[in-house]
Amino acid sequence: MTTFDANGITLERVREYVWEIPREGDMRVPARVLASEALLEEIEDDKTLEQIKNTTHLPGITNYAICMPDGHQGYGFPVGGVGALDAENGCISPGAVGYDINCGVRMMRTNLTYDEVQGHEEELVDSLFANIPSGLGGGGIVEAGVDTIDEILARGVDWALENGHAVEDDLLHCEDEGMREGADPDKVSQKAKDRGKNQIGSLGSGNHFLEVQRVTDVFDSAVGDAYGLAEDQIVVLIHCGSRGLGHQTCNDYLRKIEQQHKGLLDQLPDKELAAAPAGSQLAEDYYGAMNAAINFAWVNRQLIMHRTRQVFERVFDRSWEEMEMELLYDVAHNIAKKETHAVNDEGDERELYVHRKGATRAFPAGHPEVPKAYRDVGQPVIIPGSMGAGSYVLRGGENSMDLTFGSTAHGAGRLMSRTQAKNEFWGGDVQQDLEDQQAIYVKAQSGATIAEEAPGVYKDVDEVVRVSDELGIGDKVARTFPVCNIKG
Amino acid sequence: MGFELRDHTADVAVSATGDSLEATFAAVADGLAAASCDEIPAGVGERFSLSVTAENREALLFDYLDELVYLRDVRAELPVGNRVESIETTGSDDGPGHGDEPVEWRLEASARGVPLAEIDAREVKAVTYSEMRLERTGDGEWEAYVVFDV
Repeated sequence: MTTFDANGITLERVREYVWEIPREGDMRVPARVLASEALLEEIEDDKTLEQIKNTTHLPGITNYAICMPDGHQGYGFPVGGVGALDAENGCISPGAVGYDINCGVRMMRTNLTYDEVQGHEEELVDSLFANIPSGLGGGGIVEAGVDTIDEILARGVDWALENGHAVEDDLLHCEDEGMREGADPDKVSQKAKDRGKNQIGSLGSGNHFLEVQRVTDVFDSAVGDAYGLAEDQIVVLIHCGSRGLGHQTCNDYLRKIEQQHKGLLDQLPDKELAAAPAGSQLAEDYYGAMNAAINFAWVNRQLIMHRTRQVFERVFDRSWEEMEMELLYDVAHNIAKKETHAVNDEGDERELYVHRKGATRAFPAGHPEVPKAYRDVGQPVIIPGSMGAGSYVLRGGENSMDLTFGSTAHGAGRLMSRTQAKNEFWGGDVQQDLEDQQAIYVKAQSGATIAEEAPGVYKDVDEVVRVSDELGIGDKVARTFPVCNIKG
Repeated sequence: MGFELRDHTADVAVSATGDSLEATFAAVADGLAAASCDEIPAGVGERFSLSVTAENREALLFDYLDELVYLRDVRAELPVGNRVESIETTGSDDGPGHGDEPVEWRLEASARGVPLAEIDAREVKAVTYSEMRLERTGDGEWEAYVVFDV
């Protein structure tokens, strides 16, 4: 048997790109890592493998805890972790969803080509930066009172539609049509609402960004056609989440669960994995609050996208409808969802809380939960790369249901810490190099953010996507390359 | 005594020491401010006070940092120059109180709020329990390690 020795943890090769850490001690199931040896070498010395092992201690974890090809060390659950916990006998864990509930990515198409944008990059990046709030304390596109916040939490993008920030078609191209059922605004604390009310329609900072991109490659023309993607086309990618409202919601429930379910917590190797038993009041409350925060994040990305349409109208002096600025799809990559999956070779089905933290749902063609527009080809998956490398559009692969509870990677995955990045890179230099060498125009609130997000701090997104494609969990459809990028 | 920012792949970790529990908590809070902003201007902003209660010492540290992140967002100010005036408990110093009364830990603190509009600050999303350590290292001295989600 081929093994990989990662600093004290031995992984056994199940088949190409599938590695398993066998059950031992209090592990309830084995852990699996989906990676090439090159990707494994990047995580062998940090805590990624220990964290995915820890995740297998959660009650009700089904079959195995899985680390996606872009996985890296996080807190509690690794980033890139997928854990399916039994929704009847298992539990739900806020820390395994992450602080930024429904952090995610959406891509908007246009009918512009790269030639039409060349020469306008500076005006475009300046105008986007001036009109789309980013960074800390930058406010939001709308400021909401208490009633409005509750409406947003309950209704999601439907609220945006009613208030002129969306069109009907936007809803049809978003998971759950932009409205999560079971959202309960009353389960979101006043503190969380206070943080969220002046952040609706804002990017935040860290790795969040808005990027204008050009399509450089279409690998699968049939699926590319279905997604409306062609070479040289301009698209817009938006990456952000539920802002302070989501962060506070996670912390509120982490603390409540710590106080009320101490017995369960004592069985877990990391306090950050604190979980509420399925069926308990807190499990129900958290699920209602998390669903509400999911709606908030969808509205956040929707407002930013709609504002982007207006910026393009001014820069290119045409209506957005004329530029066919339509939502391709919106994916969440920090989320737990009740889903029904076959859990063994006999095809027995269970209802599971599928936790995806830094992982993207990737349902294959034919799955009833893929929106009608894409059901014949599979769900679009958007994988953002760093600001100096490409991003990818994949489609849910036919092996995803068997291997990963219908999931794949969510990005390039970080390699280097933020503190180290700031020692190695200077924001101004990174910005200048990107412009001079690659014609990528970057604008940020803080030079330090550019240094922390420099292309060199990320793993090779090409390798992550190659492994996803080879495994058949997310198949390559198209690749894009940055034109301009704004961040916090 | 004071804090250091430590390497962490995706996030930021703060390691802090102090000659009292109060000084150690304040040093972690200053680490949080440093992780948010490289150049904190002197003399800008008004001081404000805050108080936090929790059921044990680690939870108190967690809730204190959580409160600072919350206040940052709702006041639109970065809390810097943190001072922890007092940490008191109804129980014994090392564990649960005697009798049936629940233990309560209480902290009184203050900070100077630098308006976010006046600085280049980055968002620290939240405090985490992951790898959190709070240990007595010597005579009244404490050491803390906290990972923040960025």
